[in-house]
Amino acid sequence: MKFNPAKIRTTILDMAHSGQTVHVACAFSIVEIAAVLYRSVLDLGDGTVGCQKRDKLILSKGHGVMALYACLEELGWLDKKTIIDYFQDGSELKGLSECNVPGLEVSSGSLGHGLSVAVGLALAAKKKGSDRKIYCIVGDGEMNEGAIWEGILFAAHFKLDNFILVVDENKYQAMGTTKEVMDMGNIKSKLDAFGFFTLEANGHNEADLLDKFQKLLKNTEGKPKALVADTVKGYGVSFMHANNAWHYSRLTDETHKAAVNELKQGQKS
Amino acid sequence: MRDTFSETLVAATLSNPDVYLLTGDHGYALFDELRKKSPDRYLNAGIAEQNMVGVAAGMAKAGLIPVVYGLAAFVPIRVLEQIKLDICHENLRVILIGDGAGVVYSKLGVSHQSFEDMSALRGVPNIRIMSPCDKQEMKLCMEDALNYKGPTYIRMGKCDVGNIHTKKLTGVPGMHQLVEGKPGAPIILATGSMVKAAQDLIAGEFKDYGLYSVSMIKPFNEAALVKAVAGTPLVITMEEHSVYGGLGGAVAEITSTFSPKKVLRLGIEDKFSDKCGTWDYLMHEHGLDLKGLKAKIQKFGNNA
Repeated sequence: MKFNPAKIRTTILDMAHSGQTVHVACAFSIVEIAAVLYRSVLDLGDGTVGCQKRDKLILSKGHGVMALYACLEELGWLDKKTIIDYFQDGSELKGLSECNVPGLEVSSGSLGHGLSVAVGLALAAKKKGSDRKIYCIVGDGEMNEGAIWEGILFAAHFKLDNFILVVDENKYQAMGTTKEVMDMGNIKSKLDAFGFFTLEANGHNEADLLDKFQKLLKNTEGKPKALVADTVKGYGVSFMHANNAWHYSRLTDETHKAAVNELKQGQKS
Repeated sequence: MRDTFSETLVAATLSNPDVYLLTGDHGYALFDELRKKSPDRYLNAGIAEQNMVGVAAGMAKAGLIPVVYGLAAFVPIRVLEQIKLDICHENLRVILIGDGAGVVYSKLGVSHQSFEDMSALRGVPNIRIMSPCDKQEMKLCMEDALNYKGPTYIRMGKCDVGNIHTKKLTGVPGMHQLVEGKPGAPIILATGSMVKAAQDLIAGEFKDYGLYSVSMIKPFNEAALVKAVAGTPLVITMEEHSVYGGLGGAVAEITSTFSPKKVLRLGIEDKFSDKCGTWDYLMHEHGLDLKGLKAKIQKFGNNA
Protein backbone atom coordinates (compact mmCIF):
# COMPACT_ATOMS: atom_id res chain seq x y z
CA MET A 1 0.00 0.00 0.00
CA LYS A 2 1.33 3.43 -0.90
CA PHE A 3 1.62 6.11 1.74
CA ASN A 4 1.95 3.62 4.58
CA PRO A 5 2.00 5.74 7.76
CA ALA A 6 4.73 3.65 9.42
CA LYS A 7 6.90 4.02 6.34
CA ILE A 8 6.29 7.78 6.23
CA ARG A 9 7.21 8.04 9.92
CA THR A 10 10.36 5.99 9.34
CA THR A 11 11.40 8.36 6.53
CA ILE A 12 10.75 11.30 8.87
CA LEU A 13 12.89 9.68 11.58
CA ASP A 14 15.69 8.96 9.12
CA MET A 15 15.67 12.53 7.82
CA ALA A 16 15.52 14.04 11.29
CA HIS A 17 18.32 11.78 12.49
CA SER A 18 20.71 12.23 9.58
CA GLY A 19 19.97 15.95 9.38
CA GLN A 20 19.94 16.40 13.16
CA THR A 21 16.79 18.48 12.87
CA VAL A 22 13.78 19.18 15.05
CA HIS A 23 9.97 19.21 14.51
CA VAL A 24 9.61 15.41 14.46
CA ALA A 25 6.43 15.43 16.56
CA CYS A 26 4.92 18.22 14.46
CA ALA A 27 5.33 16.08 11.34
CA PHE A 28 4.03 12.92 13.05
CA SER A 29 0.64 14.44 13.85
CA ILE A 30 -0.22 15.00 10.16
CA VAL A 31 1.05 11.68 8.73
CA GLU A 32 -2.35 9.96 8.34
CA ILE A 33 -3.95 13.18 7.07
CA ALA A 34 -1.33 13.57 4.34
CA ALA A 35 -1.38 9.84 3.55
CA VAL A 36 -5.15 9.71 3.07
CA LEU A 37 -5.21 12.92 1.05
CA TYR A 38 -2.46 11.83 -1.35
CA ARG A 39 -3.62 8.22 -1.60
CA SER A 40 -7.38 8.56 -1.90
CA VAL A 41 -8.65 12.13 -1.95
CA LEU A 42 -6.55 14.44 -4.12
CA ASP A 43 -7.17 14.32 -7.86
CA LEU A 44 -3.58 14.38 -9.11
CA GLY A 45 -4.48 14.42 -12.82
CA ASP A 46 -1.69 12.74 -14.78
CA GLY A 47 0.27 12.36 -11.56
CA THR A 48 3.05 14.74 -12.52
CA VAL A 49 3.97 17.62 -10.25
CA GLY A 50 3.60 20.04 -13.16
CA CYS A 51 0.02 18.99 -13.96
CA GLN A 52 -1.92 22.25 -14.28
CA LYS A 53 -5.29 20.76 -13.40
CA ARG A 54 -4.41 18.68 -10.35
CA ASP A 55 -5.73 19.38 -6.88
CA LYS A 56 -3.24 21.06 -4.59
CA LEU A 57 -2.32 20.42 -0.98
CA ILE A 58 -0.88 23.45 0.78
CA LEU A 59 0.98 22.88 4.03
CA SER A 60 0.46 26.09 5.97
CA LYS A 61 2.10 24.72 9.14
CA GLY A 62 5.46 24.61 7.40
CA HIS A 63 7.25 22.94 10.31
CA GLY A 64 5.40 19.69 9.56
CA VAL A 65 7.22 19.57 6.24
CA MET A 66 9.06 16.25 6.74
CA ALA A 67 5.72 14.42 6.49
CA LEU A 68 5.22 15.99 3.07
CA TYR A 69 8.79 15.29 1.94
CA ALA A 70 8.14 11.61 2.68
CA CYS A 71 4.90 11.70 0.65
CA LEU A 72 6.50 13.61 -2.23
CA GLU A 73 9.11 10.87 -2.45
CA GLU A 74 6.34 8.27 -2.76
CA LEU A 75 4.79 10.35 -5.51
CA GLY A 76 8.12 10.37 -7.34
CA TRP A 77 8.27 14.16 -7.10
CA LEU A 78 11.39 13.98 -4.92
CA ASP A 79 14.15 11.41 -5.39
CA LYS A 80 15.72 9.27 -2.68
CA LYS A 81 19.05 11.10 -2.85
CA THR A 82 17.39 14.45 -2.16
CA ILE A 83 15.71 12.91 0.89
CA ILE A 84 18.93 11.29 2.13
CA ASP A 85 20.88 14.53 1.68
CA TYR A 86 18.57 16.36 4.09
CA PHE A 87 20.34 19.28 5.79
CA GLN A 88 23.66 18.62 4.04
CA ASP A 89 25.50 21.70 2.77
CA GLY A 90 24.09 22.69 -0.61
CA SER A 91 21.04 20.39 -0.33
CA GLU A 92 17.56 21.26 -1.57
CA LEU A 93 15.22 20.55 1.32
CA LYS A 94 15.00 22.97 4.22
CA GLY A 95 13.62 22.64 7.72
CA LEU A 96 10.45 24.52 6.80
CA SER A 97 8.25 24.42 3.70
CA GLU A 98 9.54 26.45 0.73
CA CYS A 99 7.82 27.08 -2.58
CA ASN A 100 10.77 26.08 -4.77
CA VAL A 101 10.42 22.38 -3.79
CA PRO A 102 8.23 20.64 -6.41
CA GLY A 103 4.86 19.96 -4.82
CA LEU A 104 5.24 22.16 -1.76
CA GLU A 105 3.52 25.19 -3.34
CA VAL A 106 4.22 27.79 -0.61
CA SER A 107 6.89 29.16 1.72
CA SER A 108 5.14 28.69 5.01
CA GLY A 109 7.78 28.60 7.71
CA SER A 110 6.31 31.83 8.98
CA LEU A 111 2.84 30.85 10.15
CA GLY A 112 -0.44 32.18 8.83
CA HIS A 113 0.73 32.51 5.19
CA GLY A 114 -0.23 29.29 3.46
CA LEU A 115 -3.94 29.52 4.11
CA SER A 116 -4.28 32.86 2.29
CA VAL A 117 -2.28 31.63 -0.70
CA ALA A 118 -4.45 28.50 -0.77
CA VAL A 119 -7.58 30.67 -0.67
CA GLY A 120 -6.16 32.67 -3.60
CA LEU A 121 -5.62 29.46 -5.55
CA ALA A 122 -9.19 28.40 -4.79
CA LEU A 123 -10.54 31.78 -5.91
CA ALA A 124 -8.48 31.61 -9.12
CA ALA A 125 -9.84 28.12 -9.85
CA LYS A 126 -13.40 29.49 -9.54
CA LYS A 127 -12.60 32.48 -11.73
CA LYS A 128 -11.05 30.25 -14.38
CA GLY A 129 -13.93 27.77 -14.31
CA SER A 130 -11.69 24.94 -13.09
CA ASP A 131 -13.08 22.25 -10.79
CA ARG A 132 -9.70 21.88 -9.10
CA LYS A 133 -9.85 21.66 -5.31
CA ILE A 134 -7.41 23.24 -2.90
CA TYR A 135 -6.64 21.56 0.41
CA CYS A 136 -4.78 23.31 3.18
CA ILE A 137 -3.37 21.94 6.43
CA VAL A 138 -3.05 24.39 9.32
CA GLY A 139 -1.99 23.71 12.89
CA ASP A 140 -4.21 24.52 15.86
CA GLY A 141 -1.35 26.63 17.28
CA GLU A 142 -1.02 28.38 13.93
CA MET A 143 -4.61 29.51 14.34
CA ASN A 144 -3.33 32.08 16.85
CA GLU A 145 -2.32 34.11 13.78
CA GLY A 146 -4.81 36.81 12.81
CA ALA A 147 -4.17 36.26 9.10
CA ILE A 148 -5.70 32.77 9.41
CA TRP A 149 -9.02 34.30 10.41
CA GLU A 150 -8.79 36.92 7.67
CA GLY A 151 -8.44 34.07 5.17
CA ILE A 152 -11.28 32.09 6.73
CA LEU A 153 -13.57 35.13 6.48
CA PHE A 154 -12.57 35.64 2.85
CA ALA A 155 -13.14 31.99 1.87
CA ALA A 156 -16.62 32.05 3.39
CA HIS A 157 -17.54 35.46 1.95
CA PHE A 158 -16.50 34.44 -1.57
CA LYS A 159 -18.22 31.01 -1.17
CA LEU A 160 -15.10 29.04 -2.03
CA ASP A 161 -16.63 25.56 -1.77
CA ASN A 162 -13.55 24.20 -3.58
CA PHE A 163 -11.44 25.08 -0.52
CA ILE A 164 -10.97 22.35 2.08
CA LEU A 165 -9.24 23.34 5.30
CA VAL A 166 -7.74 20.65 7.52
CA VAL A 167 -6.96 21.60 11.09
CA ASP A 168 -4.27 19.47 12.73
CA GLU A 169 -5.61 19.78 16.25
CA ASN A 170 -2.74 18.22 18.15
CA LYS A 171 -3.44 20.48 21.12
CA TYR A 172 0.16 21.63 21.49
CA GLN A 173 2.19 24.55 20.25
CA ALA A 174 5.87 25.31 20.65
CA MET A 175 5.90 26.27 24.32
CA GLY A 176 3.06 24.23 25.78
CA THR A 177 -0.50 23.08 25.31
CA THR A 178 -2.80 25.33 23.33
CA LYS A 179 -4.95 25.53 26.44
CA GLU A 180 -2.05 27.01 28.41
CA VAL A 181 -0.60 29.23 25.70
CA MET A 182 -3.61 30.51 23.75
CA ASP A 183 -6.81 28.56 24.19
CA MET A 184 -8.47 28.05 20.81
CA GLY A 185 -11.67 26.79 22.41
CA ASN A 186 -13.94 24.75 20.17
CA ILE A 187 -12.44 25.06 16.70
CA LYS A 188 -15.33 23.34 14.91
CA SER A 189 -17.88 25.74 16.35
CA LYS A 190 -15.64 28.69 15.47
CA LEU A 191 -15.35 27.52 11.86
CA ASP A 192 -19.08 26.84 11.68
CA ALA A 193 -19.73 30.33 12.98
CA PHE A 194 -17.43 31.73 10.29
CA GLY A 195 -19.53 30.04 7.58
CA PHE A 196 -17.68 26.78 6.95
CA PHE A 197 -19.20 23.33 6.64
CA THR A 198 -17.14 21.54 9.27
CA LEU A 199 -16.71 17.92 10.30
CA GLU A 200 -14.48 16.28 12.89
CA ALA A 201 -12.40 13.13 12.55
CA ASN A 202 -9.93 11.01 14.40
CA GLY A 203 -6.80 12.32 12.70
CA HIS A 204 -4.96 9.01 12.98
CA ASN A 205 -7.78 6.75 11.79
CA GLU A 206 -7.44 6.53 8.02
CA ALA A 207 -10.91 5.07 7.46
CA ASP A 208 -12.53 7.84 9.49
CA LEU A 209 -10.48 10.52 7.71
CA LEU A 210 -11.41 9.17 4.28
CA ASP A 211 -15.08 8.92 5.22
CA LYS A 212 -15.13 12.52 6.47
CA PHE A 213 -13.29 13.89 3.43
CA GLN A 214 -15.83 12.14 1.22
CA LYS A 215 -18.70 13.59 3.25
CA LEU A 216 -17.15 17.05 2.96
CA LEU A 217 -16.83 16.72 -0.81
CA LYS A 218 -20.44 15.63 -1.12
CA ASN A 219 -21.72 18.72 0.64
CA THR A 220 -23.41 21.10 -1.76
CA GLU A 221 -24.21 24.07 0.46
CA GLY A 222 -21.71 26.25 -1.41
CA LYS A 223 -19.61 26.78 1.69
CA PRO A 224 -15.88 26.28 2.15
CA LYS A 225 -15.21 23.06 4.02
CA ALA A 226 -13.16 22.13 7.03
CA LEU A 227 -12.11 18.99 8.79
CA VAL A 228 -10.95 19.34 12.38
CA ALA A 229 -8.64 16.38 12.89
CA ASP A 230 -8.20 15.22 16.46
CA THR A 231 -4.51 14.33 16.48
CA VAL A 232 -1.70 13.58 18.90
CA LYS A 233 1.57 15.42 18.63
CA GLY A 234 4.26 12.79 18.19
CA TYR A 235 1.73 10.03 17.36
CA GLY A 236 3.21 6.67 16.39
CA VAL A 237 6.19 6.37 18.73
CA SER A 238 5.43 5.79 22.40
CA PHE A 239 8.06 8.08 23.89
CA MET A 240 7.09 10.93 21.58
CA HIS A 241 3.33 10.47 22.08
CA ALA A 242 1.86 13.79 23.31
CA ASN A 243 5.36 14.72 24.46
CA ASN A 244 6.00 18.32 23.46
CA ALA A 245 9.74 17.91 24.03
CA TRP A 246 9.77 16.36 20.55
CA HIS A 247 8.85 19.69 19.02
CA TYR A 248 12.49 20.67 19.54
CA SER A 249 14.39 17.48 20.50
CA ARG A 250 16.98 15.93 18.19
CA LEU A 251 17.31 12.20 17.70
CA THR A 252 20.38 10.41 19.01
CA ASP A 253 21.50 7.10 17.50
CA GLU A 254 19.71 5.37 20.38
CA THR A 255 16.39 7.20 20.19
CA HIS A 256 16.40 6.91 16.41
CA LYS A 257 16.92 3.15 16.61
CA ALA A 258 14.30 2.72 19.33
CA ALA A 259 11.71 4.72 17.38
CA VAL A 260 12.36 2.92 14.09
CA ASN A 261 12.19 -0.46 15.83
CA GLU A 262 8.91 0.41 17.47
CA LEU A 263 7.41 1.31 14.10
CA LYS A 264 8.66 -2.00 12.69
CA GLN A 265 7.12 -3.93 15.58
CA GLY A 266 3.85 -2.10 15.08
CA GLN A 267 3.85 -3.17 11.43
CA LYS A 268 4.28 -6.83 12.37
CA SER A 269 1.62 -6.93 15.05
CA MET B 1 -2.21 60.61 -12.05
CA ARG B 2 -4.82 58.62 -10.11
CA ASP B 3 -7.20 58.96 -13.07
CA THR B 4 -4.47 57.59 -15.31
CA PHE B 5 -3.98 54.67 -12.93
CA SER B 6 -7.69 53.95 -13.09
CA GLU B 7 -7.84 54.31 -16.90
CA THR B 8 -4.83 52.03 -17.41
CA LEU B 9 -6.27 49.46 -15.04
CA VAL B 10 -9.70 49.51 -16.71
CA ALA B 11 -8.08 49.16 -20.15
CA ALA B 12 -6.04 46.20 -18.89
CA THR B 13 -9.13 44.42 -17.56
CA LEU B 14 -10.89 44.97 -20.88
CA SER B 15 -8.01 43.60 -22.97
CA ASN B 16 -6.91 40.78 -20.66
CA PRO B 17 -9.37 38.44 -18.90
CA ASP B 18 -6.78 37.58 -16.25
CA VAL B 19 -6.35 41.06 -14.70
CA TYR B 20 -8.01 41.60 -11.30
CA LEU B 21 -8.02 44.44 -8.80
CA LEU B 22 -7.92 43.68 -5.09
CA THR B 23 -8.46 46.39 -2.54
CA GLY B 24 -8.46 46.33 1.22
CA ASP B 25 -11.68 48.36 1.36
CA HIS B 26 -9.85 51.48 0.20
CA GLY B 27 -10.08 53.66 -2.90
CA TYR B 28 -13.43 55.36 -2.59
CA ALA B 29 -14.55 56.54 -6.06
CA LEU B 30 -11.19 55.53 -7.57
CA PHE B 31 -12.64 52.27 -8.88
CA ASP B 32 -16.03 53.55 -10.08
CA GLU B 33 -15.06 53.08 -13.73
CA LEU B 34 -13.64 49.63 -13.09
CA ARG B 35 -16.77 48.56 -11.26
CA LYS B 36 -18.87 49.88 -14.13
CA LYS B 37 -16.83 48.42 -17.00
CA SER B 38 -15.42 45.22 -15.43
CA PRO B 39 -17.41 44.55 -12.27
CA ASP B 40 -16.30 40.92 -12.05
CA ARG B 41 -12.64 41.99 -11.80
CA TYR B 42 -13.10 44.14 -8.74
CA LEU B 43 -12.52 42.26 -5.49
CA ASN B 44 -12.89 43.98 -2.17
CA ALA B 45 -10.91 41.77 0.21
CA GLY B 46 -12.16 43.62 3.25
CA ILE B 47 -10.06 45.32 5.89
CA ALA B 48 -7.65 42.42 5.94
CA GLU B 49 -4.48 43.31 4.08
CA GLN B 50 -2.36 40.32 5.10
CA ASN B 51 -4.84 37.87 3.64
CA MET B 52 -5.34 40.08 0.56
CA VAL B 53 -1.65 39.83 -0.35
CA GLY B 54 -1.60 36.06 0.23
CA VAL B 55 -4.71 35.67 -1.91
CA ALA B 56 -3.05 37.74 -4.65
CA ALA B 57 -0.05 35.39 -4.52
CA GLY B 58 -2.33 32.37 -4.90
CA MET B 59 -4.11 34.01 -7.84
CA ALA B 60 -0.78 34.80 -9.52
CA LYS B 61 0.38 31.21 -9.00
CA ALA B 62 -2.72 30.11 -10.90
CA GLY B 63 -1.93 32.44 -13.81
CA LEU B 64 -4.08 35.46 -12.98
CA ILE B 65 -2.63 38.99 -12.83
CA PRO B 66 -3.66 40.67 -9.56
CA VAL B 67 -3.24 44.39 -8.97
CA VAL B 68 -3.28 44.95 -5.22
CA TYR B 69 -4.31 48.41 -4.10
CA GLY B 70 -3.74 49.89 -0.68
CA LEU B 71 -2.42 52.96 1.03
CA ALA B 72 1.38 52.85 1.16
CA ALA B 73 1.13 52.77 4.94
CA PHE B 74 -0.54 49.36 4.62
CA VAL B 75 0.70 48.05 1.24
CA PRO B 76 3.67 47.48 1.53
CA ILE B 77 4.32 48.40 5.16
CA ARG B 78 1.70 46.38 7.03
CA VAL B 79 2.15 43.37 4.73
CA LEU B 80 5.89 43.38 4.21
CA GLU B 81 6.30 39.73 5.22
CA GLN B 82 3.49 38.56 2.92
CA ILE B 83 5.15 40.46 0.06
CA LYS B 84 8.51 38.88 0.86
CA LEU B 85 7.38 35.27 1.34
CA ASP B 86 4.16 34.85 -0.62
CA ILE B 87 5.01 37.01 -3.65
CA CYS B 88 8.72 37.76 -3.96
CA HIS B 89 10.18 34.40 -2.98
CA GLU B 90 8.33 32.86 -5.91
CA ASN B 91 8.84 35.91 -8.12
CA LEU B 92 5.12 36.13 -8.90
CA ARG B 93 3.51 38.69 -11.18
CA VAL B 94 1.65 40.85 -8.70
CA ILE B 95 1.39 44.63 -9.05
CA LEU B 96 1.25 46.42 -5.71
CA ILE B 97 -0.03 49.99 -5.58
CA GLY B 98 0.86 52.10 -2.56
CA ASP B 99 -1.39 55.15 -2.70
CA GLY B 100 -0.91 58.33 -0.69
CA ALA B 101 2.81 57.66 -0.22
CA GLY B 102 4.76 60.35 1.59
CA VAL B 103 2.79 62.81 3.70
CA VAL B 104 -0.26 62.98 1.40
CA TYR B 105 -2.56 62.12 4.30
CA SER B 106 -1.18 65.10 6.14
CA LYS B 107 -4.24 65.69 8.28
CA LEU B 108 -4.81 62.05 9.25
CA GLY B 109 -1.44 61.70 10.93
CA VAL B 110 1.35 59.20 11.23
CA SER B 111 -0.71 56.00 10.74
CA HIS B 112 -1.63 56.98 7.17
CA GLN B 113 1.67 58.56 6.14
CA SER B 114 4.48 56.46 4.72
CA PHE B 115 7.98 57.56 3.91
CA GLU B 116 9.64 54.25 4.66
CA ASP B 117 7.92 52.18 1.94
CA MET B 118 10.75 52.22 -0.60
CA SER B 119 13.52 51.57 1.91
CA ALA B 120 11.54 48.74 3.51
CA LEU B 121 11.02 47.06 0.12
CA ARG B 122 14.43 47.70 -1.45
CA GLY B 123 16.09 44.89 0.49
CA VAL B 124 13.51 42.32 -0.60
CA PRO B 125 14.80 40.34 -3.61
CA ASN B 126 12.96 40.26 -6.94
CA ILE B 127 10.58 43.18 -6.45
CA ARG B 128 10.87 46.26 -8.65
CA ILE B 129 10.04 49.68 -7.26
CA MET B 130 8.55 52.47 -9.36
CA SER B 131 7.75 56.02 -8.36
CA PRO B 132 6.02 57.99 -11.12
CA CYS B 133 5.76 61.78 -10.97
CA ASP B 134 2.85 62.44 -13.34
CA LYS B 135 0.27 60.79 -15.52
CA GLN B 136 2.64 59.95 -18.36
CA GLU B 137 5.07 58.22 -16.02
CA MET B 138 2.18 56.44 -14.31
CA LYS B 139 0.98 55.04 -17.65
CA LEU B 140 4.51 53.93 -18.51
CA CYS B 141 4.91 52.25 -15.10
CA MET B 142 1.52 50.50 -15.08
CA GLU B 143 1.90 49.14 -18.60
CA ASP B 144 5.42 47.96 -17.89
CA ALA B 145 4.36 46.31 -14.61
CA LEU B 146 1.38 44.50 -16.19
CA ASN B 147 3.70 42.95 -18.79
CA TYR B 148 6.55 42.07 -16.42
CA LYS B 149 6.78 38.47 -15.17
CA GLY B 150 7.52 39.34 -11.56
CA PRO B 151 6.44 41.65 -8.75
CA THR B 152 6.34 45.44 -9.03
CA TYR B 153 5.54 48.05 -6.42
CA ILE B 154 4.23 51.35 -7.78
CA ARG B 155 4.45 54.21 -5.35
CA MET B 156 1.61 56.66 -5.89
CA GLY B 157 2.30 59.84 -3.95
CA LYS B 158 0.97 63.40 -4.19
CA CYS B 159 -0.99 63.34 -7.43
CA ASP B 160 -2.12 66.89 -8.12
CA VAL B 161 1.10 68.89 -8.51
CA GLY B 162 0.56 69.05 -12.27
CA ASN B 163 2.08 67.48 -15.35
CA ILE B 164 5.84 67.27 -15.61
CA HIS B 165 6.38 65.78 -19.02
CA THR B 166 5.21 68.09 -21.79
CA LYS B 167 6.36 65.88 -24.65
CA LYS B 168 5.12 62.35 -25.18
CA LEU B 169 7.07 60.05 -22.89
CA THR B 170 8.31 56.84 -24.49
CA GLY B 171 10.67 54.06 -23.53
CA VAL B 172 10.69 52.30 -20.18
CA PRO B 173 10.58 53.44 -16.55
CA GLY B 174 13.98 54.67 -15.40
CA MET B 175 15.70 58.06 -15.55
CA HIS B 176 14.05 60.71 -17.67
CA GLN B 177 16.09 63.83 -18.49
CA LEU B 178 14.05 67.02 -18.11
CA VAL B 179 16.73 69.73 -18.02
CA GLU B 180 20.19 69.24 -19.50
CA GLY B 181 21.82 71.88 -17.30
CA LYS B 182 25.07 73.69 -17.81
CA PRO B 183 28.14 71.42 -18.20
CA GLY B 184 29.76 70.92 -14.81
CA ALA B 185 26.75 72.20 -12.85
CA PRO B 186 25.03 70.07 -10.16
CA ILE B 187 22.52 67.46 -11.28
CA ILE B 188 19.22 67.01 -9.48
CA LEU B 189 17.60 63.58 -9.43
CA ALA B 190 14.04 63.77 -8.16
CA THR B 191 11.11 61.40 -7.90
CA GLY B 192 7.36 61.63 -7.38
CA SER B 193 6.05 64.94 -6.10
CA MET B 194 9.55 66.39 -5.74
CA VAL B 195 10.14 66.53 -9.49
CA LYS B 196 7.80 69.53 -9.61
CA ALA B 197 9.67 71.14 -6.73
CA ALA B 198 12.96 70.57 -8.56
CA GLN B 199 11.54 72.21 -11.68
CA ASP B 200 10.51 75.22 -9.58
CA LEU B 201 13.99 75.48 -8.04
CA ILE B 202 15.59 75.43 -11.48
CA ALA B 203 13.14 78.06 -12.72
CA GLY B 204 14.26 80.21 -9.77
CA GLU B 205 17.72 80.35 -8.19
CA PHE B 206 19.34 77.24 -9.66
CA LYS B 207 19.16 77.95 -13.39
CA ASP B 208 22.30 76.04 -14.37
CA TYR B 209 21.32 72.77 -12.72
CA GLY B 210 20.40 69.66 -14.68
CA LEU B 211 17.32 67.59 -13.79
CA TYR B 212 16.21 63.99 -14.17
CA SER B 213 12.96 62.48 -13.04
CA VAL B 214 13.51 58.96 -11.71
CA SER B 215 10.49 56.69 -12.18
CA MET B 216 12.25 53.41 -11.39
CA ILE B 217 14.08 53.15 -8.08
CA LYS B 218 14.84 49.43 -8.21
CA PRO B 219 16.52 48.04 -10.15
CA PHE B 220 18.27 51.34 -10.73
CA ASN B 221 19.70 51.98 -14.17
CA GLU B 222 23.29 52.20 -12.95
CA ALA B 223 24.83 52.82 -16.34
CA ALA B 224 22.47 55.71 -17.04
CA LEU B 225 23.18 57.22 -13.63
CA VAL B 226 26.95 56.99 -13.98
CA LYS B 227 26.72 58.57 -17.43
CA ALA B 228 24.38 61.33 -16.27
CA VAL B 229 26.55 62.41 -13.34
CA ALA B 230 29.93 61.98 -15.05
CA GLY B 231 30.68 65.69 -15.41
CA THR B 232 29.22 67.06 -12.16
CA PRO B 233 30.82 67.45 -8.73
CA LEU B 234 27.46 67.35 -6.91
CA VAL B 235 24.35 65.22 -7.20
CA ILE B 236 21.22 66.32 -5.34
CA THR B 237 18.44 63.79 -4.74
CA MET B 238 14.93 64.90 -3.84
CA GLU B 239 12.12 62.65 -2.64
CA GLU B 240 9.03 62.76 -0.43
CA HIS B 241 10.48 59.79 1.42
CA SER B 242 13.07 59.12 4.08
CA VAL B 243 16.63 60.13 3.26
CA TYR B 244 17.48 56.55 4.21
CA GLY B 245 17.21 53.79 1.64
CA GLY B 246 15.10 55.42 -1.07
CA LEU B 247 16.21 57.37 -4.13
CA GLY B 248 19.00 59.13 -2.23
CA GLY B 249 20.21 55.89 -0.74
CA ALA B 250 20.28 54.16 -4.12
CA VAL B 251 22.09 57.05 -5.81
CA ALA B 252 24.66 57.29 -3.00
CA GLU B 253 25.31 53.54 -3.14
CA ILE B 254 25.86 53.53 -6.88
CA THR B 255 27.92 56.72 -7.16
CA SER B 256 30.15 55.78 -4.22
CA THR B 257 31.10 52.63 -6.10
CA PHE B 258 31.26 53.76 -9.71
CA SER B 259 31.60 57.54 -9.70
CA PRO B 260 32.45 58.91 -6.23
CA LYS B 261 31.21 62.44 -5.63
CA LYS B 262 29.18 64.43 -3.14
CA VAL B 263 25.51 63.41 -2.92
CA LEU B 264 23.12 65.74 -1.08
CA ARG B 265 20.09 63.68 -0.10
CA LEU B 266 16.99 65.81 0.40
CA GLY B 267 14.01 64.04 1.87
CA ILE B 268 12.38 63.38 5.19
CA GLU B 269 14.90 63.27 8.01
CA ASP B 270 14.71 60.63 10.75
CA LYS B 271 11.46 61.81 12.33
CA PHE B 272 7.71 61.43 12.20
CA SER B 273 5.42 64.29 11.27
CA ASP B 274 4.64 66.38 14.31
CA LYS B 275 1.64 68.61 13.66
CA CYS B 276 -1.60 68.48 11.72
CA GLY B 277 -2.01 70.58 8.62
CA THR B 278 -2.19 70.72 4.84
CA TRP B 279 0.28 68.86 2.62
CA ASP B 280 2.06 72.17 2.04
CA TYR B 281 2.25 72.75 5.77
CA LEU B 282 3.79 69.32 6.44
CA MET B 283 6.26 69.67 3.59
CA HIS B 284 7.32 72.90 5.25
CA GLU B 285 7.57 71.12 8.61
CA HIS B 286 9.92 68.58 7.01
CA GLY B 287 11.94 71.30 5.26
CA LEU B 288 10.81 70.15 1.84
CA ASP B 289 8.98 73.27 0.71
CA LEU B 290 10.79 75.46 -1.80
CA LYS B 291 12.18 77.72 0.89
CA GLY B 292 13.48 74.81 2.95
CA LEU B 293 14.97 73.03 -0.07
CA LYS B 294 16.68 76.21 -1.23
CA ALA B 295 18.19 76.79 2.21
CA LYS B 296 19.50 73.22 2.42
CA ILE B 297 21.12 73.38 -1.01
CA GLN B 298 22.71 76.78 -0.32
CA LYS B 299 23.94 75.72 3.11
CA PHE B 300 25.48 72.57 1.66
CA GLY B 301 27.10 74.62 -1.12
CA ASN B 302 28.62 77.04 1.37
CA ASN B 303 30.07 74.22 3.46
CA ALA B 304 31.17 71.98 0.58
